[in-house]
Amino acid sequence: MLLAGGQGSRLAPLTNHIAKPAVPFGARYRIIDFSLSNCVNSGIDTVGVLTQYQPLELNDYLGTGSPWDLDLRFGGLHILPPYQAKQGGDWFKGTANAIYQNLKFIKQYDPEYVLILSGDHIYKMDYSIMLEEHIANDADCTIAVIDVPLEEASRFGIMSTDDKGRITEFAEKPEHPKSTQASMGVYIFSTDALVKYLEEDEADPDSENDFGKNVIPAMLNDGRRLFAHLFKGYWRDVGTLSSYWAANMDALGEFPELVLNDPGWRIYYRHSFNFPQYLGDSAEVTHSITGAGNGVYGKVEDSVLFNNTIIEEGAVIKDSIVLSDCIIRKGARVEYAILDNDAEICEGVTVCGDKSGDPIVIDKGEKVTEDRKEGGLK
Amino acid sequence: MNAVGLIFADSYDADLGGLTELRTLAAVSYGARYRLIDFMLSNMANAGIRNIGIITTQKYGSLMWHVRGGSGWDLDRKQSGIRFLPPFATETGRYAYENRLEAMQANLAYLRELKEKYVLFGSCNYAANLDFQAMLDFHEKSGAVVTGLYTKNPVNKKNGSDVTEYVTDENGKILECRIVRDLDHAEKIAANTYIMDREELIRGLEETSKAGKKSFRRDIIPQMAAEGKAMAYEAKERLFFMDDISSYLASNLMLLEPEVRYELLRNPARPIITRVKDSAPTRFGSKAKATNSIIADGAIIDGEVKNSIVFRGARIKKGAVVENSVIMQDTTIGEGAKVNYAILDKKVIIQDSRLLSGYITHPFYAGKGTVI
Repeated sequence: MLLAGGQGSRLAPLTNHIAKPAVPFGARYRIIDFSLSNCVNSGIDTVGVLTQYQPLELNDYLGTGSPWDLDLRFGGLHILPPYQAKQGGDWFKGTANAIYQNLKFIKQYDPEYVLILSGDHIYKMDYSIMLEEHIANDADCTIAVIDVPLEEASRFGIMSTDDKGRITEFAEKPEHPKSTQASMGVYIFSTDALVKYLEEDEADPDSENDFGKNVIPAMLNDGRRLFAHLFKGYWRDVGTLSSYWAANMDALGEFPELVLNDPGWRIYYRHSFNFPQYLGDSAEVTHSITGAGNGVYGKVEDSVLFNNTIIEEGAVIKDSIVLSDCIIRKGARVEYAILDNDAEICEGVTVCGDKSGDPIVIDKGEKVTEDRKEGGLK
Repeated sequence: MNAVGLIFADSYDADLGGLTELRTLAAVSYGARYRLIDFMLSNMANAGIRNIGIITTQKYGSLMWHVRGGSGWDLDRKQSGIRFLPPFATETGRYAYENRLEAMQANLAYLRELKEKYVLFGSCNYAANLDFQAMLDFHEKSGAVVTGLYTKNPVNKKNGSDVTEYVTDENGKILECRIVRDLDHAEKIAANTYIMDREELIRGLEETSKAGKKSFRRDIIPQMAAEGKAMAYEAKERLFFMDDISSYLASNLMLLEPEVRYELLRNPARPIITRVKDSAPTRFGSKAKATNSIIADGAIIDGEVKNSIVFRGARIKKGAVVENSVIMQDTTIGEGAKVNYAILDKKVIIQDSRLLSGYITHPFYAGKGTVI
């Protein structure tokens, strides 16, 4: 069950018109491709995607699920939006309520275990290893955790465990964290336990209907078997413009932290029609990743370039993310910026972000005719 | 479009040497991500053709794997779709076809069971983005039984092979079919691509089968012309031929010219589709230098690439220099190696510091999986 309804307001303006999971990432992908590819690469062939905020583009993108081989007769990908029923209907009130409202979908497939994910993280993870652990521990719930620096721990849900990995305490965004094991928002539940606690949570009028705040603490209170699964691979929360920018940059270099071309763990995506990219006589592309259909005649350095963008001669792109169908005119300079789709930077114009803060964002379809510099840059 | 498509996957005239040793002509890679059949298939699909038969005789494994059910072209429909027509598949096809005529005769059953009024058929020895709808409109308007496509500008077509030149009246009616060898003195070069009324084609195939005729181009078209039933239609677009290995290289490198690229690959109304591969983005290293080149997705560039076509998943290591070459999928050029005027097939490994060079007229070719 992939929670893809989040608004991602801290990623605005990239999320002004689309749900956060549909935000493009890494020159070719959307954020949700990582969780979906993890599912299929882990052998999961039935996936419900719960949508709510700005679902149009996300729904189009998901389609029948064929890019992930999830267009199946039994199982496959199902888009699960909020709905009206005879007894009324409601928006998804919280993560737990979203799953609660779709218990019928889960029961229809009658699985022994339910994996709950959020569609807004960048990582490559084999959930089947976590499931094996869950089964071996005879757990009611297993929560994937990642070790974070102590100073950042108060941004996360923090788990304290005993020496067998059993969770003894859970604190959502604690002021004084007792451990550095942070929840990745990836849960495996035994279905019986999930159904029981979701029904109880729903019956509690004071609950915020959230897994981290309500369901997990309730299970701990009852002495249920909750375990932490320590994940050691690459994982990034791309909730802010800076972290989104940084995670994109992790795919650059000879030995990138985020390896996108691992034949054993492909990241699948929906293709738009395009053609191969052309680099002109004056092109200089270094330490970058690029998609298809671009025409590059200028300089691109330490950047991520999506599809069908034109970079004219003398233009310079540095430390930036350029989404699809942009035009960077002659002599323009783009530094520490994110250009949303269809942006145009006019001739000789400089767009420059302030390295001490978030990168500067040029809105979708925006035409920039005058210099835009943030911070104390020359 | 009220027509069925027939694509001849094999080469009957072209000689691409090693490139077609492992695979049929239609499956030969082109332009950093395509295979030659993508052009014919996309042209047909873009003209609204929904039933397409692909006639193959041998080495069609990679072609079938590439086309599959035709979903890339939205051709995997319930009521219509792609049909592979290899030999030994039907009662009538009990031998490997020697020529296009035999191939069609062997597949008469397929032609009979269709409902479309016309058949559009052609080979994969050229890359072009053609408006087949316009050709069909011309055919219907002229009232001809058969219309043959011709070009006045056969790009990279080689002298010496025998080609047909149409001699026509001012309306395009074919008066004579001449076999010529010197292209400089020929005007309307036949592209071996035709539209014909399906019923007439079936009748013609039945008759020629009895008469022991061998060639559609040499026997049927001239006969139709003599009866005044054949028209010639000029392709408005350029055809880029792959007659031999040097014309193959030239037709690839011409994609570096913007007009060619736009005409062939970037027509938004007539997209050329190929099979999707889920390749990662192209990755450029700190010392990468790529100019006047087409670089496909999934390639990793750490060295220098000039005037070249680099396919998906190819790897150019540090200090390597690649010029005027076609580097196919998953091929690796080792550190400090120098490659000039070469066609390196898939999964070739050029080890560090090797020096390889051909010339535009005689490209160096290394077969699939070669280690040098």
